[in-house]
Amino acid sequence: MGRIERLQSSYQSLDESFEIGKEMYRGQQYSQIYFARLRLMRTLLYSLVPLWKPNSPVCTVLGLEEGKDCVIVGTLFKHMKLKPCILDEYSKERSVVPLVKPHNFVHQDDYLDLEDESGRVKLGGNIIVPSVYVTGIVVAIYGKETGAGDFLVHEVLEAGLPPQIEFPIKSREDRYVVLVSGLSVGSSRSNPLQFQLLVDHITGHLGDEKEQSIASQIVRVVIAGNSVEMPRGLLNGQNLASKDLSRMAEPVKELDILLNQIAAGLPLDIMPGPCDPANFALPQQALHRCLFPGSSLYSTFRSCTNPHCFELDGVRFLGTSGQNVDDLDKYSEAKDKLDFMERTLRWRHLAPTAPNTLGCYPYTDRDPFFIESCPHVYFVGNQDKYDTRVIKGSEGQSVRLVCVPKFSETGVAVMLNLRDLECHALSFGTQFSS
Amino acid sequence: MNKTNSRKRSAPPPQPPPPTTKQALSQEEEFVDEDVFIDETLLSEDEESAILRDIEQRQALAARLAKWTRPSLSQEYLSQSRSILFQQLEIDYVIGESHRELLPNRSGPAAIIRIFGVTKEGHSVCCKVHGFEPYFYISCPPGMRPDDISRFHQVLEARMRESNRNSNVRNLVIDVQMVQRRSIMYYQQLESQPFLKIIVALPTMVASCRGILDRGIQLDGLGMKSFITYESNVLFALRFMIDCNIVGGNWIEIPVGKYNKTTKSLSYCQLEFDCLYSDLISHAPEGEYSKMAPFRILSFDIECAGRKGHFPEPTHDPVIQIANLVTLQGEDQPLIRNVMTLDSCSPIVGVDVMSFDTEEEVLLAWRDFIREVDPDIIIGYNICKFDLPYLIERAVALKIAEFPILGRIRNSRVRVKDTTFSSRQYGIRESKEVTVEGRVQFDLLQVMQRDYKLSSYSLNSVSAHFLSEQKEDVHHSIISDLQNGSAETRRRLAVYCLKDAYLPQRLLDKLMFVYNYVEMARVTGVPISFLLSRGQSIKVLSQLLRKAKQKNLVIPNAKQAGSEQGTFEGATVLEARAGFYEKPIATLDFASLYPSIMMAYNLCYCTLVTPENARNLNIPPESVNKTPSGETFVKSNLQKGILPEILEELLAARKRAKADLKEAKDPLEKAVLDGRQLALKISANSVYGFTGATIGQLPCLEISSSVTSYGRQMIEHTKKLVEDKFTTLNGYEHNAEVIYGDTDSVMVQFGVSAVEEAMNLGREAAEYISGTFTKPIKLEFEKIYYPYLLISKKRYAGLFWTKPDNFDKMDTKGIETVRRDNCLLVKNLVNDCLHKILIDRDVPGAVQYVKNAISDLLMNRMDLSLLVITKGLTKTGDDYEVKTAHVELAERMRKRDAATAPNVGDRVPYVIIKAAKGAKAYEKSEDPIYVLENNIPIDPHYYLENQISKPILRIFEPILKNASKELLHGSHTRSISISTPVNSGIMKFAKKHGGNRTLCSHCKGREAELYCKSVAQVSDLEILFGRLWTQCQECQGSLHQDVLCTSRDCPIFYRRKKAQKDMAEARLQLDRWSF
Repeated sequence: MGRIERLQSSYQSLDESFEIGKEMYRGQQYSQIYFARLRLMRTLLYSLVPLWKPNSPVCTVLGLEEGKDCVIVGTLFKHMKLKPCILDEYSKERSVVPLVKPHNFVHQDDYLDLEDESGRVKLGGNIIVPSVYVTGIVVAIYGKETGAGDFLVHEVLEAGLPPQIEFPIKSREDRYVVLVSGLSVGSSRSNPLQFQLLVDHITGHLGDEKEQSIASQIVRVVIAGNSVEMPRGLLNGQNLASKDLSRMAEPVKELDILLNQIAAGLPLDIMPGPCDPANFALPQQALHRCLFPGSSLYSTFRSCTNPHCFELDGVRFLGTSGQNVDDLDKYSEAKDKLDFMERTLRWRHLAPTAPNTLGCYPYTDRDPFFIESCPHVYFVGNQDKYDTRVIKGSEGQSVRLVCVPKFSETGVAVMLNLRDLECHALSFGTQFSS
Repeated sequence: MNKTNSRKRSAPPPQPPPPTTKQALSQEEEFVDEDVFIDETLLSEDEESAILRDIEQRQALAARLAKWTRPSLSQEYLSQSRSILFQQLEIDYVIGESHRELLPNRSGPAAIIRIFGVTKEGHSVCCKVHGFEPYFYISCPPGMRPDDISRFHQVLEARMRESNRNSNVRNLVIDVQMVQRRSIMYYQQLESQPFLKIIVALPTMVASCRGILDRGIQLDGLGMKSFITYESNVLFALRFMIDCNIVGGNWIEIPVGKYNKTTKSLSYCQLEFDCLYSDLISHAPEGEYSKMAPFRILSFDIECAGRKGHFPEPTHDPVIQIANLVTLQGEDQPLIRNVMTLDSCSPIVGVDVMSFDTEEEVLLAWRDFIREVDPDIIIGYNICKFDLPYLIERAVALKIAEFPILGRIRNSRVRVKDTTFSSRQYGIRESKEVTVEGRVQFDLLQVMQRDYKLSSYSLNSVSAHFLSEQKEDVHHSIISDLQNGSAETRRRLAVYCLKDAYLPQRLLDKLMFVYNYVEMARVTGVPISFLLSRGQSIKVLSQLLRKAKQKNLVIPNAKQAGSEQGTFEGATVLEARAGFYEKPIATLDFASLYPSIMMAYNLCYCTLVTPENARNLNIPPESVNKTPSGETFVKSNLQKGILPEILEELLAARKRAKADLKEAKDPLEKAVLDGRQLALKISANSVYGFTGATIGQLPCLEISSSVTSYGRQMIEHTKKLVEDKFTTLNGYEHNAEVIYGDTDSVMVQFGVSAVEEAMNLGREAAEYISGTFTKPIKLEFEKIYYPYLLISKKRYAGLFWTKPDNFDKMDTKGIETVRRDNCLLVKNLVNDCLHKILIDRDVPGAVQYVKNAISDLLMNRMDLSLLVITKGLTKTGDDYEVKTAHVELAERMRKRDAATAPNVGDRVPYVIIKAAKGAKAYEKSEDPIYVLENNIPIDPHYYLENQISKPILRIFEPILKNASKELLHGSHTRSISISTPVNSGIMKFAKKHGGNRTLCSHCKGREAELYCKSVAQVSDLEILFGRLWTQCQECQGSLHQDVLCTSRDCPIFYRRKKAQKDMAEARLQLDRWSF
């Protein structure tokens, strides 16, 4: 049996902007990140307005004049009747029947406001559909103020897909990236055998020569969050016995052993997710190396931030562990998850609902979730099912969108070919017909 | 009060007189008329023309204001070719010259009634009614013949002249007439007796004349004689309303030709006219006339820039903003929204922002605004005590004489006086009374304090309570900073100010105050303004007077009896058998018990038989009722009582209103009807109280003690019947047991375990027992409590069932911890425990919950905001005799930083901290913010012993054996944790562990575990941080501006602060791992 060399590819991490580093909580509030976002987006939208509405004046919310058509740029704020509120905890009458926690908080009475530094105005008319939008998006709106103090919307301009770096065409050979998420090691639903099969497959310990040669073309594995499931029940605020403490870290140890096997064979990126032992607010910082005493010794092991951005052989990837899309799913409506992904690109913002409903670090001078450059591949982890689509931008941009399913529930990982960005599902079953 | 009328208009006062400030104690029992002379409050001609010029200068503003004027009059109105129909809101009177054309026989000063109101089209009306004269009655001395009357008149006139020497009225006593009336007091067999009706010139003369007659006058042939006066304490405006059959807020019509348009109009109303009182047509509020006219309601709020460390004072601190909101009654969107600011202010969408360079311009612009918009009702939060007096006093400080012309009378200044209002029901309240002629003031704060029992009456907590909304609160020390900033920061303030003007309007709408109060005025017949400024008894008196008038009865002006008449035995409360009942408990209620008793036994002033009469009058025994308290009342075949008749009408009207309510479709109509049935119910219940008010208008303890004695008898009777009938001997499954009985209800355990069965038995019992009572006393079965936790008398909790399949709600009485000096923890704990015990039926769960909470408290894991206790600072430290925690703290805070320390009038929040052994309780209070910042340990034992233990034990004692031992002294109380204060002594000895390692060698191998723990903490805090701070953004209504709110009433204020601080610390902790 001949020796099969694993292919190599060049890798460049672009996570720097997601690293918090020396940023501190110094009593700053969330107004600053909105301010930074508005400033960035406004410059961008202002540059588009002359093409869009060449003859319309551009106003601020304050400068609106009744009945005059104009363009305003601002941050949307969605008033939602069903939005859960921390003050409910204090409301005097707890409802006798506990509310069933709805999966989605959209209601037909929801309405939008547009806000800039100078003020807020209610958006009227049926052009802008509140169920599509969420709080935190910056858009340009063409319309006029009505007598009632509303702004009647004629047309909405979103920023659109950002410019894209050129797609590398030099390579003729197939190289694969494996995207996987929701391993949930330690959870009652996860099947250790299933994950072991995945590990064995990508490291080339399974199958015949043909399969092994395909495995050799896998140049990188990206784990998009929720790799473990911590027994959170233990952390109920009570003091932990050291026995419980070690039980808590058990899934992490198990994960380390498995990752060890991958890292020994090929490069591996691990992103934190909402269930991982990482901070909660976006951007989530890389999982600490001390959690992985084994695998972190390999130079192939990379602990990354969430969101995660990198270039592989000149192909740009951008991905999250799913929180951004899941949150949009709670506060707006779309046909499928890919639609939400597409919207975030068109809005040029990875996580518009942060900080309003999605926890995020209170940045003071920038908004790291602003998408400056269009990725070639955009993935989100921990989705219910595998799904993919390519979208095209007006300037020839082309983006592969991938919903990476939860591995522990579906047994599916995603193989993406760097050559043509085609992808397919890699499914592992452990059912034995008896 | 009675000044001479000699001041001439041409003599301008050298200095504009300050608003008349008078001390008047308008206690409930004392109704005093105050004659206001028309000329007294008016400006001189010179001043008037100065104002006119002034107005011209501000034409631009006037154009803006003109947009908001009322709809203009149609031709029919202008040509006086139609009758005028309007809904009246306010009735007062002034003293002016008699009208020459309408009253050709009279001259000199006379009382002119002014009725202000609005027509259907929204025109404002000022109707001046002439010819109505004040009067009262005395009983005619025996032996006085009609011929003696003129002599009596002369004597009285002479005596009156002595006490009103400088009056320029020609005839002080206009007339004395002999009439046939009967006193309302005691059963009498005579139909009527001669009375003298004494008519005087001016309303205040009623009182002085009464005084003379009380003391006694010398009469020829009769000697010195003193008289009991009748109906001499009726306010003039009310007298007029009673005699003309006008009730508060009804519609009044003046037919064509019966009114004269005033030649020189004195008011700003669109329709101003004179008429005779006999020409008024008063419509009963039924059908078409039950509707509401489109009144204009102005809601406003002012902001003042106080100096650091002081509450704003009108002598120093400027008014910087006034926000206004005008709404037409019945519309849900405001008609006008504007804000007047001192200095520039950036625009606000949907709001008219008017900026001015000087404070004088702001004030005058507001005055002009009021005049143009011409609101009928002025509302706001604490406007009577703060906003309005402040504006007026500020204008005095700035020497703007022409400012306080806010009423509807041309050039008439607003009057301010301090009043103390005391009533048994509402307690003593001090307030400023600002009279704005022709406009009703409706201060939502006063209404809240009257109608609702809340733990805090700040606008913030009231709106959180009723509108489920937190209000952004800007500390008054920040207001000056915002004002001194830019147009942007002032805009910020304006938005805040507007919100404060908007919330009262929302409360008014939400709680239907307009409907409820107008209906109350209609039912009881008093002007709307009386409802807020006076107590309960005037409402009953008004009804009594109306009824008495129909029956030719007169009401004596009772001597103030004081408390000499003693007290009487109150309602009965059956012994409560405390316990936790897990079987359905049926509640049998007497429907309107006291009113029914009064009706059933014909209890009234005029049916009461004095012991003396009982002996003399020879009344057949079958025609009287002996009450259990030993009084005698005749039955209705001999004399129908007035009070029972009033009650019958009220209850019948309520029945009708309820029936109509069911039929009604239109939401506005529904609101009116619901307001009416509520008003009727309250009125019916207050009749009993009226007879028992020992310092009231017409106390009659014979009636009230009879009522309660009957009540007691009925409760006992019911108990006996239930326990006799529902027994196994009589074929029922179980023996029924009465476990508790209150004033008008009895709780019965029938022993069955199904709700439906208990309901059937309850209905059966109610019907059976009702049959044994005199009509209309009726026992009703209303509800089941299941399960039911009975703690002691007047304290219980239970699930409330009216339908067999599902309970309606959790009902508690006497346990709700609405007391202000409890911390939130107690309230939450009690609520959650009851929830767990009653709804989840999980007693062990509740016990565990309490234990966890206690453990959290001891382990210093409790959310600080739950531990904050708040008390109002009413005076400065020196004035308190006993040292109290909040006063001491306020003093300490003043020493730390005078600018942010609480001032008199503020509420002081504090927590109890650990202090040295033997420290006094008042020394242990501390500012929660200071505690947070310095990590000062709280005193868990204080909270455990002084706050939690009593209410919790109360709940658990009927359920658990050894509740105290189990809950308060279990093993969960043994581990404690105390935070180390950063400024304490011990930290000076602690050695900080240096080096770049996070962990010691001992823990090295457990890095992953320990890291997981630290990061989980950070993660939890991040969730909290995000939720709290975004919520505050939501409340403030802006994403791009920093949150400024310092509302200490907001439940998340301290949590937000704590999250911010904890976050920073946890983050630092985590950073130590990055080696």
